[in-house]
Amino acid sequence: MFDLSTWYHELLDDNAIFTPATMAHYWEGLVTTTQLVFLSLVVGLVLAVPLAILRSSKRKWISLPIYAYTYVFRGTPLLIQLYIIYYGVVFFDGIQESFLWPVFRDAFYPALIAFTLNTAAYTTEIFRGAIKATAKGEIEAARAYGMSESLMMRRIVIPSAFRRALPAYGNEVIFMLHASAIASVVTLMDLTGAARYVYSRFYTPFEPFLFVALIYLCLTFAILFFFRFLEKRLLAHLSSPSL
Amino acid sequence: MATTPTPLEVRNIKKRFGDTEVLKGLSLEAHKGDVITLIGASGSGKSTFLRCMNLLEQPDEGELIVHGDPIRFKQTRQGREPADKKQVVAMRAKLSMVFQSFNLWAHMTLLENIIEAPVHVLGQSKKEATEHAYALLERVGLTARAKAHPAQMSGGQQQRGAIARALAMDPDVMLFDEPTSALDPELVGDVLKVMRDLAKEGRTMIVVTHEMNFARDVSSQVIYLQEGLIEESGTPAEVLDNPRSPRLKQFLTPNH
Repeated sequence: MFDLSTWYHELLDDNAIFTPATMAHYWEGLVTTTQLVFLSLVVGLVLAVPLAILRSSKRKWISLPIYAYTYVFRGTPLLIQLYIIYYGVVFFDGIQESFLWPVFRDAFYPALIAFTLNTAAYTTEIFRGAIKATAKGEIEAARAYGMSESLMMRRIVIPSAFRRALPAYGNEVIFMLHASAIASVVTLMDLTGAARYVYSRFYTPFEPFLFVALIYLCLTFAILFFFRFLEKRLLAHLSSPSL
Repeated sequence: MATTPTPLEVRNIKKRFGDTEVLKGLSLEAHKGDVITLIGASGSGKSTFLRCMNLLEQPDEGELIVHGDPIRFKQTRQGREPADKKQVVAMRAKLSMVFQSFNLWAHMTLLENIIEAPVHVLGQSKKEATEHAYALLERVGLTARAKAHPAQMSGGQQQRGAIARALAMDPDVMLFDEPTSALDPELVGDVLKVMRDLAKEGRTMIVVTHEMNFARDVSSQVIYLQEGLIEESGTPAEVLDNPRSPRLKQFLTPNH
């Protein structure tokens, strides 16, 4: 009879790759990736909300600088942005003596800044599109019922735009998770960095890269699930008639 | 007799879009309890005229007097604008509008739609506004739909809901912009019935409509617009039953 535990032990006894030591590396990588992605998304979101409102302004001198920002950050590769911030800051005079140096010396913070600015640019444009798509009739109704421009923004335009933006924003979150893999090129030990480390130790490409691919898949699945849940709750009003 | 100021008076409203003058000097006075219907062919300017009354469109010329209080205007490079935004907000809170395409706020339930402006514009408490809203929902026969979103309701239900939203403001004048034009024929009756009840109880209403029977039955004054001018105006008996102008005669002939 086939003995599962014998098979299991044989498999693991010969295994030099999935050891407690490499697992610790993967775990560290998972923590770094999660922190990096989560923090950049949260800060990016907080920045994007006011930026999207200003970007929607009819006054050119308000909307144009923000358009320039989103255009530059969406129009250049994230990897280049990361290189510029990571390698470039050293060349600012006096930065190594300033209080900012401990922040920029560690690869985590330049990566965090690059990712945050990048996702804020994309999110700003996602929200701006949603704000622009607000039904004209709903805006007229808000005006006709005596709402000031700011009250209308707060009560009608923003809440409905956020709901409309949700599916596109969910994609942006997944995109950021996958884009974060490039953090490993600036020495950061994220998930991909951990896989590269294990690969270089054992020269086995499949085990480490397939393993982290699986972890990315699981994270993506969790994000999808979360957004599906949000959409079900917040987009109920767009569902077809259920009379 | 005590003289209360007229709820809404408009004088000599003119409006042009580009080179086309769509309103060529229109006036009306809505006294308390008046039901004024505006009729006319499409393009005659009746909806634009109505939308000038709460400044959804900016009239280029003319006066707007709400409760004896004239709206102040200023001249800017873009044209004439209200000088005092607060005055406009206060004016709009007294005139509530019902739109052709309902324009309920899609992300809110019907109940939330109704209490939105009373709570956030008039400053009522949520509890007070909700109680009032349920009373209004019962009036328009939508109590069971309070928690539904507009997309889940039929057009007739949405329009009755929109009327409840308008009533929740306790308006001095209600403006109706072709309230039944976007509805399926079998749903028109329910909405008109609600409007007839409002007219009967003495609400001041200004209604842009194509429903001639409704205009005949409830109006205190019917105004026929033709190319941005008032062609005829008077009681339904005068305007609808004894039209003098040939164009109005033609307009009132079925299948003209």
